[in-house]
Amino acid sequence: MTIEPAVVLSAEKLSKVVEGPDGRLTILEEVSLSVDRGASLAIVGASGSGKTTLLGLLAGLDRPSSGSVVLAGEDLGALDEEARARLRRRMVGFVFQSFHLLPALNAEENVMLPLELEGLDDARERAGSVLAAVGLGKRLHHYPHQLSGGEQQRVALARAFVHGPKLLFADEPTGNLDQRTGAAVSDLLFDLNREHQTTLVLVSHDLGLASRCARTLRLRDGRVVEGDQ
Amino acid sequence: MRPVAFAARSLRREFRHGELATLAAALVLAVAALTAVGTLASRVESAILASAAELLGGDLGVSARREALPESFSSEAGKLGLASSRSVEFSSVVFAGENSQFSEVRAVDAAFPLRGKLVVADGSGVQSVAHAPARGQVYADHAVLTTLGASVGSALQLGGHDLSIAGEIVSAPGSSVFQFAPTLIMNLEDAESSGLLGIGSRATYRVLVAGDAAAVERYAAWAGQNLPAMARLTTVAEAQANLRSAFERGENFLRLAALLAALLAGIAVALAAQRFARRKTEEVALLRCLGASRREIVLALSLELVLLALPACLLGAALGIGMQQVAFLFASQLLGGVAPALPLAPAASAFVVGLAVLFGFALPPLLRLRDVEPMRVFRRDLQTRLRRFDALYLLPLLVGGGLILLESGSSKLAGVLAGALAAVAVATLLLSLLLLKGLRASSRRLPGALRFGLANLSRRRALTLIQVGALALSLTALNLLAVVGPSLLDRWRADLPQDTPNYFALNLQPGQKAEFEQRLAALGASNLSLLPLAAGKLVAINGKPLRASDYAEDSRAGNWIEGEVRVSWSEQLPPSNRVTAGSWLATDPPTAELSVDRGWFELFRLELGDNMTLRVGDSEVTATVTSVREIDWDSFRVNFFMMLDPAHGDPLPHSLISSFHLPPGNAALATLSRSMPNLSLIDVNSILDRVRDIISRVSSAVTWVLGFSLAAGILVLLAALAATADERRFEIALLRTLGAHGRQLTAAVLGEFAALGLLAGAVAAAGAAGTGIALARNVFRMPDYWPPAPELAGMALASALVVMLAGLAGTRRIARTPPMRVLRYGS
Ligand SMILES: Nc1ncnc2c1ncn2[C@@H]1O[C@H](COP(=O)(O)OP(=O)(O)OP(=O)(O)O)[C@@H](O)[C@H]1O
Ligand SMILES: [Mg+2]
Repeated sequence: MTIEPAVVLSAEKLSKVVEGPDGRLTILEEVSLSVDRGASLAIVGASGSGKTTLLGLLAGLDRPSSGSVVLAGEDLGALDEEARARLRRRMVGFVFQSFHLLPALNAEENVMLPLELEGLDDARERAGSVLAAVGLGKRLHHYPHQLSGGEQQRVALARAFVHGPKLLFADEPTGNLDQRTGAAVSDLLFDLNREHQTTLVLVSHDLGLASRCARTLRLRDGRVVEGDQ
Repeated sequence: MRPVAFAARSLRREFRHGELATLAAALVLAVAALTAVGTLASRVESAILASAAELLGGDLGVSARREALPESFSSEAGKLGLASSRSVEFSSVVFAGENSQFSEVRAVDAAFPLRGKLVVADGSGVQSVAHAPARGQVYADHAVLTTLGASVGSALQLGGHDLSIAGEIVSAPGSSVFQFAPTLIMNLEDAESSGLLGIGSRATYRVLVAGDAAAVERYAAWAGQNLPAMARLTTVAEAQANLRSAFERGENFLRLAALLAALLAGIAVALAAQRFARRKTEEVALLRCLGASRREIVLALSLELVLLALPACLLGAALGIGMQQVAFLFASQLLGGVAPALPLAPAASAFVVGLAVLFGFALPPLLRLRDVEPMRVFRRDLQTRLRRFDALYLLPLLVGGGLILLESGSSKLAGVLAGALAAVAVATLLLSLLLLKGLRASSRRLPGALRFGLANLSRRRALTLIQVGALALSLTALNLLAVVGPSLLDRWRADLPQDTPNYFALNLQPGQKAEFEQRLAALGASNLSLLPLAAGKLVAINGKPLRASDYAEDSRAGNWIEGEVRVSWSEQLPPSNRVTAGSWLATDPPTAELSVDRGWFELFRLELGDNMTLRVGDSEVTATVTSVREIDWDSFRVNFFMMLDPAHGDPLPHSLISSFHLPPGNAALATLSRSMPNLSLIDVNSILDRVRDIISRVSSAVTWVLGFSLAAGILVLLAALAATADERRFEIALLRTLGAHGRQLTAAVLGEFAALGLLAGAVAAAGAAGTGIALARNVFRMPDYWPPAPELAGMALASALVVMLAGLAGTRRIARTPPMRVLRYGS
């Protein structure tokens, strides 16, 4: 048995520069951070400050212009796109602001998706039990358009946790929901997080939600102004 | 990820959800239309060929001048399991008492005819099917009997032998206008033992074979390799020039219809596939995010397509066979009772074409999904970087081009169609770009709702261009099927009017001309033409003696050099001739002038200004080639490869040849041949009937096929329009939410679709007209065809209207559903 390192996710001097219509634009500048196993980190900041960009880089969805990310002991910069995809499949779950359920699949099938990608046989049972855990045990065969926003996000939470990821990335998980539903969804998120011992990286400009995380990192114009460093 | 299982699951789920239904339906429809049209076309074609085989007397003929064909030509047929028959044709004078008559004799063996029927009448006029006459007997046709004053049962002399007349020929295979119209049929053994076929006789030896099509093909290949000099193969289709062109036209019509059906189907599949790929973009981004690798995604998407395509193509092929079976039940009476077997090749090729079209059009956008960036899940607007040139775009082009070439079976048809369609596509794109530009410039002056609708067009520029292009192409195909095709068919049907010459008279002497004309006028003949005819030999071109070996690549040239050529002269260009180069013969030129058929011109590699030397009897004439003529061989008129100017022709020894129309069965004609015994009268009524029959059968069958393709095309078009309306779902829901009322929505949609429809309709009508003219000139040989302009203009307006209504209907449905559903359902 190997001893897992205490740090699950770390970033060193991450920068992202893009070629915009009006010339080069630095959207992230030398951001460094590290997250321990089982811990939770909130990334906050005004709209346009670079939160989503940072999240994408941390999850290996995009490549930084400079700097490095180490996820579960693997240096993302050293992996090619395919290897990063494999790593995500095993280690990472996602929750998005706009849910991103596939409209052609019903709730159960949407949740089964990550398991099917891994080629597991008991996908249906596991999906059923996780959906029951998020309170949608009776809505297994409903399609996204037959569910409310809150319910859709609960399906998305079930999908994020169903394959037991080490890390969960959530981008404004309550951004599209009213306050009460948002609160219920975030309760669920933190419950599941505790239960599954997941490491959570959460983006939000809702300070209430952010304060439920152990640590907070504040961005302004692509720079860290508070938190790690 | 297990791609097969994953693909199967996504297929099942998406199908249930209706996402894939359009694609599957387009594919089923495409393959069904192709199968039905292809199978019907192939069956009609084999029915035509079967009836042509009856005319030839077999499925394939080999003929040789002067020398009998080696025994191996019969034994090889036996080895391949084919029936074979030998015969010899020659001309000879026959006598009965005082009377004599020049006659075309065909000596046949017991197996003759292998296809078709030889029908003879006995002395009391009772008809029966016969084979070769017994030894010592002959069958003679009505004209010979009349001129000889003989009848069934009496005797005649041929080459010093007495033969008894056992019957009158009613109809015989192998009858054609000039080449081998037998007026006398005798037993082959009699001919061989009589010395009639001795050295110097101008006999043509023939072997006919018949049987299984594949074996006939193998025989043809073998014969082609072992063909002696001066021998040639005669296939059913080229058995006779008049019929040949009837077959060719019929075939081209059928292929055109099949191609247009394929094209329409291809467009439908292409549109559906594009839409499928667009919808998949979000899903692919999500799957990438969840950790699916590129390879897995491409594999799963391709597998999903395969799993969708196989059953859809199978179903389509089955449906198509069913549909053509129904059509065939109706059409088979038209085919004169010949019921060709059900060919499976068209269904198989439709199946393959369906797969090819699907993958050709769906694969490029799907493969490009590989490059969807996972970050897209956060930023929807993130464009997949488009390479300026993507080799994948060539795939659908190749598929389209290959399809046209494969299905057309004729490079001319393929060329015309591909060129026309490319022109339509380019014209549509240019005009659309212009329209969009104009709209942007003038948008501020338009009323609100209309402005919104038209702005939609320019906002979705790429999509608009694809849609207008597809619309214009499919409308062109529909116009071709609905207007141009039928009008070409009408032209074809009118090709042989009632007074088409049905009799030919040969051997008329120049001194008899006045009397002949007078007598025919008295009989009420119409459409009379009289042309001089001199038979001679080609001697030299530009002073260089002609040798068959100089034209080794084409045995026809050798045949002409060795054999006899006929030349005529006339002041006027004969009807159904057209000068394609140079100018028609001058009157009274100082040196002889010659006008040559285009085929000949090419065969002998002539140039305008070349000198040709002919020997006729004892005189020789050298004439300068001053014009090239295109001859319409379907016209049933007397036509000549070579025509001299009259001043230089008249001094040559010659007879006259005449063609005229007389209601068939005119008994007075017998008195004419009795009083001019040197006259050789040829009755082409049966051939004329045959050609008319073929034209009417084929054109009826083609009408069926055209109608069929048209129906399929309309379905496809409606499906495509429904799809474009679908694209507007989200927009309309949004407008509704923002408070737009029904009338505003209607105005916006109408404006948008009217612009689309008018542009596509106008380009399509013009495109179809141009295609029709090009097809008529280059494929159907109807140089003066002009498409019916009012109908095409009507079609243009009707298309615009249909596009508008279809768009409106599609959007109505959406406008009536509560916007909430659409918004929730997601973009
Ligand atoms: N590919 C890109 N090209 C150009 N600009 C980009 C690109 N990606 C991000 N940006 C810009 O970078 C900045 C940060 O974007 P990002 O999406 O990370 O912000 P955010 O903090 O998530 O904002 P919000 O809270 O509104 O979601 C924005 O100004 C955005 O316009
Ligand atoms: Mg963001």
